[in-house]
Amino acid sequence: MLKDVTFGQYYPGNSLLHRTDPRIKLLILVEYLILVLVASTELAAAVSLMFTVFLIAVSGVKLRILLKSVKPLVFVLIFTALINLFFTTGESEPLVDWKFITIYKEGIRSAVMMLLRLLSLVLGSSVLISLTTSPLELTDAIESVLSPLKLIRVPVHEFAMMMSIALRFIPTLIEETNKIISAQKARCADFESGNILRRVKALVPILIPLFVSAVRRAEELADAMECRCYHGGEGRTKLKVMKACARDYIFFTFTTLITVGIFFINNITIAGIVELCRDIF
Amino acid sequence: MSFIEARGVEFYYSPEEDKVIKGLDLKIEKGSYVAILGHNGCGKSTLAKLLCGIYEPTEGQILVDGMDTANEELSFDIRKKCGMVFQNPDNQLVASVVEEDVAFAPENLGYPREEIRRRVDEALSTVDMTDYSKHATHKLSGGQKQRIAIAGVLAMSPECIVFDEATAMLDPTGRKEIVAAMKRLNKEIGITVVTITHYMNEAVEADRIVVMNEGEIIADGTPKEIFSKVEELKAVSLAVPQVTELLYQLEQDGFELPRGVLHAMDAADVLDAFIGGQK
Amino acid sequence: MKNYALEFKNVSVIYGEGSPFRKAALNNITTSFPKGEITGIIGHTGSGKSTLASLTNGLIKPTSGEVLLEGENIWAKPKEMIKIRSRVGLVFQYPEYQLFDETVESDIAFGPKNMKLSDEEIKSRVKLAAEFCGLSEKELKRSPFELSGGQKRRAAIAGVLAMRPEVLVLDEPAAGLDPKGKEEILSGLVEYKNTYGATLLIISHSMEDIAKYADEILVMKDGDIYMQGGVEEIFMQAEKLFDARLDLPQITKLFIELKKRELVKNTDVYSVGYAKKEIEKIINAR
Repeated sequence: MLKDVTFGQYYPGNSLLHRTDPRIKLLILVEYLILVLVASTELAAAVSLMFTVFLIAVSGVKLRILLKSVKPLVFVLIFTALINLFFTTGESEPLVDWKFITIYKEGIRSAVMMLLRLLSLVLGSSVLISLTTSPLELTDAIESVLSPLKLIRVPVHEFAMMMSIALRFIPTLIEETNKIISAQKARCADFESGNILRRVKALVPILIPLFVSAVRRAEELADAMECRCYHGGEGRTKLKVMKACARDYIFFTFTTLITVGIFFINNITIAGIVELCRDIF
Repeated sequence: MSFIEARGVEFYYSPEEDKVIKGLDLKIEKGSYVAILGHNGCGKSTLAKLLCGIYEPTEGQILVDGMDTANEELSFDIRKKCGMVFQNPDNQLVASVVEEDVAFAPENLGYPREEIRRRVDEALSTVDMTDYSKHATHKLSGGQKQRIAIAGVLAMSPECIVFDEATAMLDPTGRKEIVAAMKRLNKEIGITVVTITHYMNEAVEADRIVVMNEGEIIADGTPKEIFSKVEELKAVSLAVPQVTELLYQLEQDGFELPRGVLHAMDAADVLDAFIGGQK
Repeated sequence: MKNYALEFKNVSVIYGEGSPFRKAALNNITTSFPKGEITGIIGHTGSGKSTLASLTNGLIKPTSGEVLLEGENIWAKPKEMIKIRSRVGLVFQYPEYQLFDETVESDIAFGPKNMKLSDEEIKSRVKLAAEFCGLSEKELKRSPFELSGGQKRRAAIAGVLAMRPEVLVLDEPAAGLDPKGKEEILSGLVEYKNTYGATLLIISHSMEDIAKYADEILVMKDGDIYMQGGVEEIFMQAEKLFDARLDLPQITKLFIELKKRELVKNTDVYSVGYAKKEIEKIINAR
């Protein structure tokens, strides 16, 4: 159940991706998204796939962990692929034409492309950000990228701190939710039958204890943070100073080249861009 | 002058409620290892929070190394000197990765990067968790989480650490880990350790035990002295170790046995000598 | 022959079967719990105690094997699992986190309400359950969130007792309580057991409590049943217990040491009262 969710969980390690500056990783992510979405010919898709495989390889994340992160999305992936398979019409003769099912060659192509694209998006962004960037690094990176906003008095540090604490407590609260569900089930609570109204009502015995405990945890955490001299972002230093090194820039340049290259590989024309827009929307 | 001094401290959460701490005087010497013992709800956790300056006394005064905890301007200096480890291991870890959590306090104090690194490494090695520096905090065992919490406090190089029922939620293995860590901090590094607990076998490890009941101190002495007072402890819903109780009851029946024996081996020696002497 | 309330037959629980994450929480265990008795379950963290507890009322389904309640497989009719859960009460560790209702009274009534009992029946059960747990009339009317830690624990346990289960499984019911609070809760549970002839399974880390309350002991280690038997039988095998990273009651340790010194003959001593009698016997014999 809830236990199986690993999507968005940090996988500690010391791979190339782990060591890359998180700010650079954010930029690479943006390029990567463009790359995957733009690749529309077979050749471009192959290049984008190769780049995804490259990212996975340099992330040092074990394949089984990666596959687990895809598991919750299997339904979405299959659904999208099927939609593409059945609803894409082509100019040639349909390959299958049976009752209401018609499948064209183009349908198969677009289903495969869409599946690859989505899978790449999920896997690529997982290994680039969520699996190889600790939540604190990520919030640091976001804090640093957004820091110009401090000039107009946006509490960037506070937002970043809130985000990192939220991330830290997700596994704890998931565990707690499971515990409360079990405890109420042991008191004969029934979450599975009845109409919607009844089911929503059945959630009250879960949500109230969860809320109460979250508040208690927040109070205790606040005390603990104060005891460790927390006083906001002012005068605060960092154990991990983000410093992009030559390797990071090379990595970034490399990705930029491939992303730009994809446009050429796609043999980009006006018609290509129009088609791309149609693909996306 | 003592390291921590509480003078006539009174405390309530709101004026309508009863006082939680009633006119308490306490001195804790530098480098000592003190257990504060009491049943649930006797005010011992409140006292812990007062000692570290999380709460301010309603009446009276608490001085940590001569600094008044009521003085807002000194709060940082006090917290740096007197750290605290809390009961629930899950609710005091701030970061998702071990070393980032340990770095939290020195980061707040604005130390340079190399200094933070040095402090983190040293703190982790003191609690024997160096191998876990890159691990995810939520996957550790309860005892390991508490050791990380200790390291997080150690990274401030405090002179004193207050443990607020830090072992209450742990299994026996975890409890042993933490008690061993407390002992090491006190004996090897010379940190003043104040541990709040209702576990007798933990209090036994301390050099001095302060017994609290209903917001007051009712006994103060060495473990041997405290555990001689079996009746008094029972009256405030505390228990003594089984062997202490056994020797006490035998003594009550008229046998001349020493009081305040705490360990099974010592009790065996005492009984051995006594039975031998009867021949 | 003994009558068994609850039996486990070749029960295994394996998480992630067929995947690389495969982890066996319980390995093919077979055991039974005698009716009307208290079985103490001990074992280090991760030995499978909690998994065993969650199997007793169908919160977890065994990967293989059967769990029998009064001789019937509890998974025979999965749709009627609620009935099983009212017959096997399960109190988790730190059960106070499950409290949610406006008053203690209505919170305790949650289980009986789910069982769809009549209002009168619910009322009388709530009252009785509160009595076993030492909660006063006044406390019943308060919000559970205003209670002290110890009272919250009592309210939560009462919430399970109010279902009047014939088997009651408790995971560390006294964890974190001071000696007096612990004593009160545990003796309330014994009273419940004696009143309804219920079967109790108590998971505990405290060897002293187990020695004091249990009739039988089940020792778990790494997902297996390591030892099972009478209290005496188990505590006689000190070395074996130490191997499972477990301990003995302090008083028993004393007697083992005294036996080594040939001062006493028996080591089956678990309570201070009995120890005192034994020592006095020896002193008087001299």
